[in-house]
Amino acid sequence: MKGPYSQAEDSELVSASIAGDKLAFSEILERYRKMVARTVKGMLGDSVYAEDIGQEVFIKLYNSLPEFRGEAKLSTYIQKIAINLTLNEIKRRKRFFTMFSQKGNDEMHEFEIADNDGESKRDAKEIVNKALMSLDPKFRIVVAMRMLQGYSTKETAEILELPLGTVLSRLSRAQEQLKEILEKL
Amino acid sequence: MKPSDIRKLIIRSLSEDANPREAADTLEKEGITYDFGNSFGGIVIDRIFGTREKVIREMEFLRSMRFIFNRVALTGIAAIILLLISIFIAEGSISLNSFLGIGNTYDEGMISLLTGN
Repeated sequence: MKGPYSQAEDSELVSASIAGDKLAFSEILERYRKMVARTVKGMLGDSVYAEDIGQEVFIKLYNSLPEFRGEAKLSTYIQKIAINLTLNEIKRRKRFFTMFSQKGNDEMHEFEIADNDGESKRDAKEIVNKALMSLDPKFRIVVAMRMLQGYSTKETAEILELPLGTVLSRLSRAQEQLKEILEKL
Repeated sequence: MKPSDIRKLIIRSLSEDANPREAADTLEKEGITYDFGNSFGGIVIDRIFGTREKVIREMEFLRSMRFIFNRVALTGIAAIILLLISIFIAEGSISLNSFLGIGNTYDEGMISLLTGN
């Protein structure tokens, strides 16, 4: 069922949300939840932590809406929040796993790859997940932006606030690493 | 889509000259999508607006408490003024003695009042 804001512009939704309109913010949530899920789950895997980070993304978005000036697209603004929170979570978990496990990252990756889809879809998704999880976070984020979100190199550079050359070199190095990794899968 | 095709797609999508949307669109067509659970939206809205409504309720409670305090304070002040006026009318002054109700009582009178003689 379509809500009263289903046709509304993002700017209208932002203004109404700032005024405390629950329905307007629900519409923002529905519009961008999949985009956030691709970033968060692409980076963290299909885990309960990803759901928590997804929630934090929208809560942080709601609290920071009064500071949103509309200079960038709302999707870019949300994407930046999602990336920052996800990278913080990766750092936090890396510290945790390093503290409590000798195996560190290997164990973390095993834990992350899980989903409830059908057999063939699961195989395909597992390849995508394993490919992403095998990469260092700084490479993983550029690959996720390209592979899951379909952003161009320029868009990725803008969102991550990195020079274009850095994004290109990270994509190229990630491609080299993935060639080796995917051969073994 | 075969796993080998997916591997090729992943590698190809990272090339500088690749169509950036190719991998994203193909994976979506293949049903490899990412989303949160069904209750995700409800939980987020509850966490945001539940907290907000709680804060609003607390603020309203404090506001009504302040209103009640003002009412009680004003009524109290009015009662004290009335009491002082009535003392002034009855005793002719508002000294401490008249306030305590002993304005027209002499020492002897006080003793007989206390001893009953």
